[in-house]
Amino acid sequence: MQFGTDLAKGARTAPALAIEGVTYRYPGAPAPALCDVTLRLEPGELVLLAGRSACGKSTLLRASSGLVPHFHGGEIEGGIAVAGVDALASGPGELASVVGYVAQDPETQVVSTTVAAEIELPLEMRGDAPAARARAVEEVALALAIPHLLGRAVDTLSGGELQRVALAAALVTRPSLVLLDEPTSQLDPVAGDELIWLLRRLNEEWGVTILLAEHRLERCLAAADRVVAMASGSIAFDGRPRDFLVWAQGVDAALETPAARLFSLCGIEPLPTGVRDARRTLAREGEAGPLLTQLFPKEGRRLTPGGGFGKSTSRSEGARLPSHEALMCRDVWVAVEAGENPRDVLRGVDLMVHSGERVALMGRNGAGKSTLLRTMAGLVQPARGKVRLPNGIALLSQNPGDYLVGERVGDELPGEAGEAALRVVGLEHAVDADPRDLSGGERQRLALAIVLAGRMQGEALPGLVALDEPTRGMDRARKDELTHLIEALADRGAGVLVATHDVEFAAAFAERVVLLGEGVAITDDPAAEVLSGGWYFATEVARVLDLPDVITPEQGAEALSGESLSGEFVVRDTYVAQTGKSARKGEDG
Amino acid sequence: MRSPFAYRPRSGPLQSASPAAAVAYLGSLATVGFLYSNPIVLAATGAALVLAGLLAGARDAVRAALWMGLTLALLIVAVNVLVVDRGATVLVRLGQLPLLSDVITAEALAAGAVIGLRAAVVLLAFAVYSACVDPDRVLRALRPLARRSALTATLVSRLVPVAAADAARLRDAARLRGPAAAPVGRAALARRLLAGSLDRAVDVAATLELRGYSLNPPRPTPVATLFPPYTSKKRCDRRGERPRARRSRYDRRFYVVGALVLIAGVAGKLLGADAFAEYPAVQLGVGPATLALATLLALSGLTPLSPRPRRTASTSLPAGWRS
Repeated sequence: MQFGTDLAKGARTAPALAIEGVTYRYPGAPAPALCDVTLRLEPGELVLLAGRSACGKSTLLRASSGLVPHFHGGEIEGGIAVAGVDALASGPGELASVVGYVAQDPETQVVSTTVAAEIELPLEMRGDAPAARARAVEEVALALAIPHLLGRAVDTLSGGELQRVALAAALVTRPSLVLLDEPTSQLDPVAGDELIWLLRRLNEEWGVTILLAEHRLERCLAAADRVVAMASGSIAFDGRPRDFLVWAQGVDAALETPAARLFSLCGIEPLPTGVRDARRTLAREGEAGPLLTQLFPKEGRRLTPGGGFGKSTSRSEGARLPSHEALMCRDVWVAVEAGENPRDVLRGVDLMVHSGERVALMGRNGAGKSTLLRTMAGLVQPARGKVRLPNGIALLSQNPGDYLVGERVGDELPGEAGEAALRVVGLEHAVDADPRDLSGGERQRLALAIVLAGRMQGEALPGLVALDEPTRGMDRARKDELTHLIEALADRGAGVLVATHDVEFAAAFAERVVLLGEGVAITDDPAAEVLSGGWYFATEVARVLDLPDVITPEQGAEALSGESLSGEFVVRDTYVAQTGKSARKGEDG
Repeated sequence: MRSPFAYRPRSGPLQSASPAAAVAYLGSLATVGFLYSNPIVLAATGAALVLAGLLAGARDAVRAALWMGLTLALLIVAVNVLVVDRGATVLVRLGQLPLLSDVITAEALAAGAVIGLRAAVVLLAFAVYSACVDPDRVLRALRPLARRSALTATLVSRLVPVAAADAARLRDAARLRGPAAAPVGRAALARRLLAGSLDRAVDVAATLELRGYSLNPPRPTPVATLFPPYTSKKRCDRRGERPRARRSRYDRRFYVVGALVLIAGVAGKLLGADAFAEYPAVQLGVGPATLALATLLALSGLTPLSPRPRRTASTSLPAGWRS
């Protein structure tokens, strides 16, 4: 009791997290993962931790939760205090009352069989009474909108549900600090947005301090009070979100959000932290100057179809036209045995991909995207329907590490065919490297070479190259590399089909988007049309501008500069409501 | 895909009962399976377990256990008839074969069938236990008694399904490799799975640390030192005391039936209810003791039957009072 009371007092008075001059090196690591890090989080702050892959974000979170050094070992200097408790003197168990930690992979952070038992476990370990435990479980389940899951077995939950359960288990002890490591990386746009706003609500209503590491900054920047950016184990920036965007513009463009990039390209200031912020700024610009009058010059003006808006549109209108069929799925039905309740995961899917086409397959968690790809690759037998792949398929599943079993890259891909596959992915120089020493992006390219090996005729690729969620945990720079690789594959004649939740990535590479919902292909249209016409499956630029077929910052910049405006375009009612102008009538133009 | 033996939360009596009560009930039936050789008794025990499993909603587990039990029983019968040459009733003469019996007898066939039946009964008991008893509650009950063992059991119970999922993924990845990529043998796959499992184990152990598993379990302390005397008779589950185990209103039912089955089994054994001999000729006892025990055992399968919800007042109340 005494310990708990002290913690409660400490939590009220001390900073939520105080890190002082911490340098940490993992056991056997040549370089430190954290270098002289000093950081202070005040109670009630929501802080976003940004930075490229392997910059030290996860290590910082582990140190704040007590896992480093108590669980992972290694050498540490400096001091860490969580709500007044010395994290270097206390282990993660003792810190469990004041800090909650949610890791990236929800699969490995549940240890019980049922949801209720999982949420109850920390309280039980602490020795709380059954009545108090029952009440705390009920309250946290209500707060996270998961009371209906309490009786479920954890292995029947979707990724999004599992992530919420892990969050509930972290929150049930009412910690003063919650640490989250890329919690949205496996979630679809809907579940990702819900989680971020849930965190904001917990922060506002419960006063919980939140430290959130994320790569998809556009998703959470608007909800953050402060941003801390890391580079090479050190803190490179610590300030307000708007200042962070200015810093990123000058120092690391890979950390810019799409809306901020749109504004930078147009020279508009201040840079926006989110969609609402951007629209307000644009509305003000419109009132003060000619910007919106260019956008809304007359009632009924319309953008010329394919009017030169950026890379994506020009690609779809480009010289390379689809030549022959790479994939044909007709009326594909797949049923999955789920104990007593078998269900249809795919329900009559029709899909056609041509050689040289780049297609994004999108949809919510559990919509059937992976099942469709697995059916194409012959890993799942359809209950009904037909799949035709005239020139074969190479499927790269979600975890590239599953493909890497050799000690040497050359051992994975022997012979001339192996060398040819390595050349296609640009890894011919790494034949003697250990696959575990490759960077994340290189490992993914190696895995792709492994599935391509021997399926190429000479240098010609298989008819269809399919990638399942290839951007999980990737930073923007690595996504750009992947986009180039996809373009190269398509240019060499392969149809490329990518299942992804990442709308910005889809906007960067795809010509067409197929949207799956409950096992049915709801939409199959050009990417610019699909990604500009909705709330969730729309890019940030599309949500800011709400213009048809404008989805990337470059397209948005062209639209705002007015260079591509010719003819007429339709102004949407929502935008008119935001600006408060009668733009539909064109009175201000 | 989930294992048919995986625990599924339900609100039935067997799932609601405390682990000790469920173990007492299912364990008593399994014990009878071990004690007896009389096929009538074994068949009745098997029928009780099938009935109990179906009433508890563990249809998949029962079906899988029956299938596995039948396969195992056939295997045992096949091996037994080929290696045992005892028995008076020769069915087939095989001639001189190394290591094998030169005859197949009806008695060896019956003896194999009884062993197979016993194995199927034990398998059924395990299947119903696995599908209906919450492993979390079992581990929780074990934790104060054997902390390290409970931690190991927790890790294993969590990692087994995760490792199975990892193995399925690795097999798929091996199938998706291009024809010119180096083939992945079973040894390489097993090595990779082991390495992955170790990583997984580290992750799960880290989560357990974060949940406070390393803290000492609450120890029982003298109630009088923490609370005034007038509260000492109340149920006090504050920190520092061992919380009382959660009980179910069905516990008594399972304890009583379990004890009854066990007592009847032992008594039946003493009274000759297990009358059965395989060799030299099959002799099956069907005396009153055997039949009475078999009937009792079969009826014990009804123990997990859910009571019907009472529908009393609703018909006598005015319409406006109905909920």
